Amino acid sequence: MRRVALLLSIAFQHLAKRRRQTIVAVAGVGVGVGFFLAVSALMVGSQDDFVKKLIDAAPHIVVSDEVRSPTPQPAVQAYPGGAVAVHGYKPRTEMRGIKGWQQLVATVNAMPGAVASPSLSGGVTLRVGGHEEALAVIGIDPAVEAHVSNVEENLKAGSLHALETNQGGLIVAEELARRLGVNMGDVVGATSARGGTRSLRIVGLFGRGRSPGGSSGTGYVLLREAQSLTGQPFIINRVGVKIADPYRAETVAKALEARFSYKAESWQERSADFLTLLLTRNIIMYTVVSAILLVASFGIYTVVSNAVADKRRDIAILRSIGFSQADLQGIFVAEGLVLAVIGIILGFGLGLVLMQILGSLEFPVSGRVEHIPLDRRPRQFLLAGGASLACAVFAAWLPARKAARVDPVDILRGAA
Amino acid sequence: MSTLIEAHGLARVLPGDPPVSLVQGIDLAVEPGRFVAVIGPSGCGKSSLLYLLGLLDRPTAGSLMFDGMDTVPMGGDARAALRLARFGFVFQFHFLLPEFTALENILIPIRRLGRLSGGDARTRAMELLRAMELEAQADKTPDRMSGGQRQRVAIARALANDPSLVLGDEPTGNLDSVNSRRVVEIFQALAHEQGRAVICVTHDPDVAAAADRRIHMRDGGIEKVD
Ligand SMILES: Nc1ncnc2c1ncn2[C@@H]1O[C@H](COP(=O)(O)OP(=O)(O)OP(=O)(O)O)[C@@H](O)[C@H]1O
Ligand SMILES: [Mg+2]
Repeated sequence: MRRVALLLSIAFQHLAKRRRQTIVAVAGVGVGVGFFLAVSALMVGSQDDFVKKLIDAAPHIVVSDEVRSPTPQPAVQAYPGGAVAVHGYKPRTEMRGIKGWQQLVATVNAMPGAVASPSLSGGVTLRVGGHEEALAVIGIDPAVEAHVSNVEENLKAGSLHALETNQGGLIVAEELARRLGVNMGDVVGATSARGGTRSLRIVGLFGRGRSPGGSSGTGYVLLREAQSLTGQPFIINRVGVKIADPYRAETVAKALEARFSYKAESWQERSADFLTLLLTRNIIMYTVVSAILLVASFGIYTVVSNAVADKRRDIAILRSIGFSQADLQGIFVAEGLVLAVIGIILGFGLGLVLMQILGSLEFPVSGRVEHIPLDRRPRQFLLAGGASLACAVFAAWLPARKAARVDPVDILRGAA
Repeated sequence: MSTLIEAHGLARVLPGDPPVSLVQGIDLAVEPGRFVAVIGPSGCGKSSLLYLLGLLDRPTAGSLMFDGMDTVPMGGDARAALRLARFGFVFQFHFLLPEFTALENILIPIRRLGRLSGGDARTRAMELLRAMELEAQADKTPDRMSGGQRQRVAIARALANDPSLVLGDEPTGNLDSVNSRRVVEIFQALAHEQGRAVICVTHDPDVAAAADRRIHMRDGGIEKVD
């Protein structure tokens, strides 16, 4: 420990005597770290915000009454393990709802922090006066659905609960209501292919652009209502699942699909294209910010290699006193570290200032003031600090190796 | 009396085409408490021999024992450790670290050895400065001291870790006669009063005359000893 303190104090003295170069090198690291933080706060912040929206847009997992693989054919079932293969069969599209959905819901609800919301979706036609609009209607249990999706938050008027308190309540998108020329409390006619015609009353409106699934053609009714409207009593064809850790959705979805053989789609599967895009974006970002940090460490290389060149005599003196080669290497690596640490501290300050500025910018989005989502977690600071320290050690280590290799006798002979 | 440092057939050849022989066939032994001068014409290999004895350079042939230890097979770190704890060097040019004050220059080997606590190390460094009559220069950097003062700081630094062997390469080469005499007296005291072995390369007849023994060198070898 004492030895480290001594090597550091010698390194400090060397740097104090080359102030201008030191300032340039420190400033380089500081600017690099500062911009690393600002850029990654922006990128990671917007990504997290985006992913959160992806996750919240719909249940983490949606189990539907589709099957991905054909059910085992009788010939295969009759000879288990036998050399029987049946080709050319496609899974039959069974739109008869999920059989045994009660067991599925019970299984999900038994997982800690998980909730399942059974629902029925079907198509109806809304009619008001001469206007007609197609609507994908989803029948839900409001009390349960509120735990599974963020439908409630996207309502501009009314509430999910209003579905229960009003006979024939319907929630639709504001845009759709406008097209039909109706408003809260108005009555519309709904017709389905299999069921009859019923009157529904508008009890809630989704805000502009905030309809579930991003489509203005989706509406919510009570589960019972949907079942009788579409003529499918007691049928469930969709189970929305919310789990404690959204990042385990893929695993849980696989397990559910394996057990119940209905298609269980996780949010990751649903948004695979977006996630690939994010990955590409991350690769680009980290390439650019790493380049910034690498360039910043060039300044450190310059300072340390100049110091080694200027201090050959001091190196010989220290070696004759009894400093080892490792000591000399340590002194010059310490110089790089000192520069990096000061630069990193300044860079953290610069990063915080840049984030403050970015965070204070206001953007009016559809009537609301929005701020840029920023990631200010310590993780980014650790990453920036760690990466620049590593770069600095490497940049200083190259010339420091030369310092260790200086033969004191060569220097002493030359000076005598 | 047992010897502190003992060389047999010591030689150093610089590889090359043709190879250059710096020193060869050196046999010598120096006991604690002895002040030995190495003299001879310029280019005869005095400095080269001193670097070998001081474990700064490695011989290409021969043996070199220090305090009963065979130094030839030692690795770089072991030699550095031995220099730190047992050897003190004084060169013609003062060779102080320019960024550090006189006191700090003396503290560097003490702190590197790490045997004394911070306070004790300071006390020891101040004692050495006082012995060299340099208390007033303690906080000066080398560029603000006279040549004689610098050379005495360099001696004080060489003595920092209480070395058994003090090696000088023309330590008076840059000093006037008054300062030279002081250095000679210090070297005599190091050997005769403090019991250290002192080996000093010199051109100065006064220094040679003050030594207990003179090694005369010529063409890389020892011509005679008196
Ligand atoms: N790197 C080298 N290449 C070739 N010859 C060298 C080299 N270094 C030293 N020599 C030669 O080795 C010989 C011994 O040099 P050394 O410095 O030991 O002499 P010295 O006795 O100390 O001389 P001085 O009294 O001038 O200091 C000299 O003749 C010198 O020219
Ligand atoms: Mg010489």
